Amino acid sequence: MSTITIVWVALPFFLGFIIYLIPKLDKPLAMCGTVVSAVYGVQLFIQQSPLKLQLLDNFGVILLVDSLTGYFILTNALVTIAVLIYCWPSNKTTFFYAQTLILHGSLNAAFACSDFISLYVALEVSGIAAFLLIAYPRTNKSIWVGLSYLFVSNVAMLFYLVGAALVYKANHSFDFVGLKQAPPEAIALIFLGLLVKGGVFVSGLWLPFTHSESETPVSALLSGVVVKTGILPLVRCALVVDEIDPIVRIFGVGTALLGVSYAVFEKDTKRMLAFHTISQLGFILAAPAVGGFYALSHGLVKSTLFLIAGALPSRNFKDLQQKPVDYNIWFALAIASLSISGFPLLVGFGAKVLTVKSLESWQAIAMNIAAVGTAISFAKFIFLPRGAKEGGSVHPTQPGFWPAVILLIVSLIVTNGIYYQAYTFENILKALATIGVGWLAYYFIFKKSTLKLPRVFEQFEHLVGTMSLILILIFWMALA
Amino acid sequence: MLEACVFATVLCGFFGIILKKNLVMKIISMDVMSTGVIAYYVLIASGDGLFTPIISDAPNRDYADPVPQAIILTAIVIGFSIQALMLVGVMKLGRDNPTLEISEIEKNNRV
Repeated sequence: MSTITIVWVALPFFLGFIIYLIPKLDKPLAMCGTVVSAVYGVQLFIQQSPLKLQLLDNFGVILLVDSLTGYFILTNALVTIAVLIYCWPSNKTTFFYAQTLILHGSLNAAFACSDFISLYVALEVSGIAAFLLIAYPRTNKSIWVGLSYLFVSNVAMLFYLVGAALVYKANHSFDFVGLKQAPPEAIALIFLGLLVKGGVFVSGLWLPFTHSESETPVSALLSGVVVKTGILPLVRCALVVDEIDPIVRIFGVGTALLGVSYAVFEKDTKRMLAFHTISQLGFILAAPAVGGFYALSHGLVKSTLFLIAGALPSRNFKDLQQKPVDYNIWFALAIASLSISGFPLLVGFGAKVLTVKSLESWQAIAMNIAAVGTAISFAKFIFLPRGAKEGGSVHPTQPGFWPAVILLIVSLIVTNGIYYQAYTFENILKALATIGVGWLAYYFIFKKSTLKLPRVFEQFEHLVGTMSLILILIFWMALA
Repeated sequence: MLEACVFATVLCGFFGIILKKNLVMKIISMDVMSTGVIAYYVLIASGDGLFTPIISDAPNRDYADPVPQAIILTAIVIGFSIQALMLVGVMKLGRDNPTLEISEIEKNNRV
């Protein structure tokens, strides 16, 4: 088993470089690498018992795979497969596929490793690969989007490195467990790095610009899995070190409310989805023990939504009200939106029920408000006008669009079975009530609102400046 | 004392990233910051001693800790490759934004 794990971590990198040598086989090789990790992810659920590997020595790489990791690995594999299918008929070059596979591999590595330095390396590799994918069209705008992403994440990772050094000083090891003995400034520095990388709370405000301005398949990858590299380590730290658990939960609630309050007022489809990603990350953090299932449901649904948003005739909700959407596309859009709002029969329902069950009492009200906010923001998609195919102004879809979206939607329905215990009368009633309240609020209040929230905080200098404030905030939280 | 100097370097770099207007200057400030971080690792490594840890017949001395040094080597390589990548991006951007002032670039590339 341990050999399989090591091969599984190394395989995507190996194949990624092979692709450069045999450019003709780029798509099959990329697909092969991701399918292998999907199989590995499923296998983790069957096996159940966690596996901890300590390579080399006391200071070496520590890998930890259990069912929590399994959820993230499965999400990563499914989203990457869908993106590859989406891009298959397009004329993307070998470079794109090689980078996608390397990004996939680095994400797997980031999910599996359980010590601060391997995590640092995996996060930096994923950052570089993501930058190359964002900048792939090589327009000025895409380069700037990628550059600001790389810059912000690299600065955050420098703080993280200082934190890792402090952990080493206290324990003579980089294991996550060492955070227990580490001084509060170590916790503050490491958390700052992970919060920025994971797009949590105000330090995550780089996310809307980056995710909304990238190409459709890249946005799906970024929002579906790449942000979760920062989330899983936070969840892990919260699980191993009890003192950290409340900090993570507080950030979860704050993020969920912040993201959703931006999302309800947003007038642009892709930006709304990106803000909504921030709020969903909050749901994962709010109940660390069951975060894996929520991450799976969110990753699948958000990549579906980003792929569909790329097929809509416009990005502006106001324009979309004038232009009818193709029936088939609307149907897919409605399924995805219902799943994320927590409608029964889809995976979002089970995930929401499980998360709400594991909340502490002080979190419950805030998270329910956030759930209603989710319903409000996705009512914007569900109540778009539909039109027949011959309606004239129908936007042509990419040839790979339908297979990819169908794969994701089928997985949304199938993974619904993982937590079938959720189907009790009260839970279903509560989910429907939440959605109903959200839709009514949308219809009577938010449909007409013209309020535009300022974008000042998304400017580059403010993003870096906020880091220092968050650093002080976490320091005091860790000290308390 | 040394520790204070190291943190001063990190802070100088961080303030440079915030306060400098030019994109290239920001990248150089980031380099200053990462120099500070590297120095911190070296400082931690030398906590117990300064001698190079080599197995030999010589009597036991105060050895420097090899682990942080080995690790920071990885981080140096990563940092340098990221900087190279950023500078390539800046060269491309510089063609249409010759001043490379961040406010201008942000204005030109917003929606």
